Amino acid sequence: MSTPTQTETTPQSTFARLRDLWNDYLPYWFMAPMVAVMVMITFFPGAYDLYLSLVAEPTLDVFAADFVGLRNFETAFTRGGAIHSFIITITVVVSALLLETVLGFVLAALVAGVGSDRAKSFYRVLFIIPMAVAPVSLATIGRIMLNSEIGIIPYVINTGTPFAAPSFLSDVPLLTVILLDAWNWTPFMFIIFYAGLSSVPKTLIEASRVDGAPMWRRYVHVIIPYMKPVVFVATLIRLIDLFRTFGVVYGLTGGGPGTATQLVSINIYEQMFINNQITVAAAIAIVYLVLVVALCNVIIAKVGFEGVWD
Amino acid sequence: MATTDGDSATASQRLDKDTREKLVTVVRHTILLTWSFIVLFPLYWLASMSLKPPGQANSLPPDWIFLPTVYNYIQLFQDSGFVAAFANSLVMVSASVVLVLLIGVPAAYVLSRYDIPMERDVLVWILSSRMLPPIAVVLPFFIIFRELNLFDTRVGMVLMYVSINLSLVVWVMKAFFDGIPETLEEAARVDGATQFQGFRKVVLPAAKPGIFSVAIISFIFAWIELLFGLVLTSFEAVPVTLFVYSFIGSRSIEWGMLAAASTAMIVPVVIFLIAVNKYLAAGLSFGVVIKE
Repeated sequence: MSTPTQTETTPQSTFARLRDLWNDYLPYWFMAPMVAVMVMITFFPGAYDLYLSLVAEPTLDVFAADFVGLRNFETAFTRGGAIHSFIITITVVVSALLLETVLGFVLAALVAGVGSDRAKSFYRVLFIIPMAVAPVSLATIGRIMLNSEIGIIPYVINTGTPFAAPSFLSDVPLLTVILLDAWNWTPFMFIIFYAGLSSVPKTLIEASRVDGAPMWRRYVHVIIPYMKPVVFVATLIRLIDLFRTFGVVYGLTGGGPGTATQLVSINIYEQMFINNQITVAAAIAIVYLVLVVALCNVIIAKVGFEGVWD
Repeated sequence: MATTDGDSATASQRLDKDTREKLVTVVRHTILLTWSFIVLFPLYWLASMSLKPPGQANSLPPDWIFLPTVYNYIQLFQDSGFVAAFANSLVMVSASVVLVLLIGVPAAYVLSRYDIPMERDVLVWILSSRMLPPIAVVLPFFIIFRELNLFDTRVGMVLMYVSINLSLVVWVMKAFFDGIPETLEEAARVDGATQFQGFRKVVLPAAKPGIFSVAIISFIFAWIELLFGLVLTSFEAVPVTLFVYSFIGSRSIEWGMLAAASTAMIVPVVIFLIAVNKYLAAGLSFGVVIKE
């Protein structure tokens, strides 16, 4: 019997070695693509925005660029309308977040208390539907229903009430944006709060009911504290997404009238593609990036993730 | 104290409680039905406008009763631009969902099962990709896409859609994997399976509901995205959102067709949402709420 020769074993052991390499380093293989994509979508844009914000004109050779210090930032905040757009954005984010959180919680609590299971699931399915509406479609709905000439809502207000309808898109554009966003995204809060309420242990509620505490006290002292992690995650995710708002405003008012609804994202877009001020746009983007990421990190650090995972 | 007094007191109290509960029920359903109306009326209005014949679409007082016509839809689907954009979106968004699952699910598995150094920081870093406002991100990509000839290509758009959803997939799937007992894979390994086989044949099937729901949520977020299409495409890779927007942008708005296009965008998403409504909460809340 001849022993296996070198040529016979080599291909097999190469394959085995590769398989071992795959299995031994599995976590690394599994993580690598995600890390690569994450580097691409987090570090690269930040670094490039920073570069753009510091130069007079972008050039192919990054190091040959004409660096101008903080001039672009100065332009952005003196003539670029950056301060105004930051204030507008914060107004929209805070009001919409408050409105959606309160409305979502109240609706969830009301549905959770419905007696019949069929009615419950009817409401639950119905209430999530606005989430299916794309910002563009929402802008369409707004434009059709709120239009001063053809809109059903001004028509109903004018004919059915003693009040004259405001021109929603020009008199109260910011309020209109906030209300439309609340229509669109209250379902998000609703569905998470509803699931959270359903996960509160029955025994906990029973115990407080036996004590004879009125309903509102049951919520304040038992249910809401128990749901703190749920409320925290829901509002944080919604907060993050509110800073992304673009499509509905772009389609509804395009930032106008004037600059009344010029959110930071609209402002950056206009500086970039309408005014052709790419470097000024980058300066605003940098400030926005830093503010949003810092704010979210402060919230996460402050509230902590205790009870949110592990 | 007379017993009769006490009895009548409790009886009247009970009666009070009954009427109060009935009142609470009435108020509850009044509010819920009002909200149902608020939810449904705009959708009804959009759909009815898309089904009205031209001329009747924006007459006031509104024609509550009208003969529905699919005229607007026929016009819409004869417009080669809409069909191309709709098909574009379908292809690009589907491809991005497959890709984001291939990248995100294994990573989530590792984050759930292994001791990763600074795991919390890694997870916050991943979430931070969602904190970056797309408008701030899109400018560098606009320039790099031109250099790499990815501008106005489907491949480029697929990459952008992946970037929107990656954090969502990783967070949601980590929560799902956390909920699957590790003993499952240990048993498989005792039977001689490799680590990878354990993942593929035991863990993945158990996580199927999570993967299914996160796939659909990712689909929706990519489907409704406007900004990347606006900046990174011009003709070839135009998504349906951008096409619908072009109606709004035009000088004289064709309301009927605009309503039809907007309705056509909503319908598939509504069907998806209702299909996953059971898993939706668990998915969106990143594992804080495990089950109803």
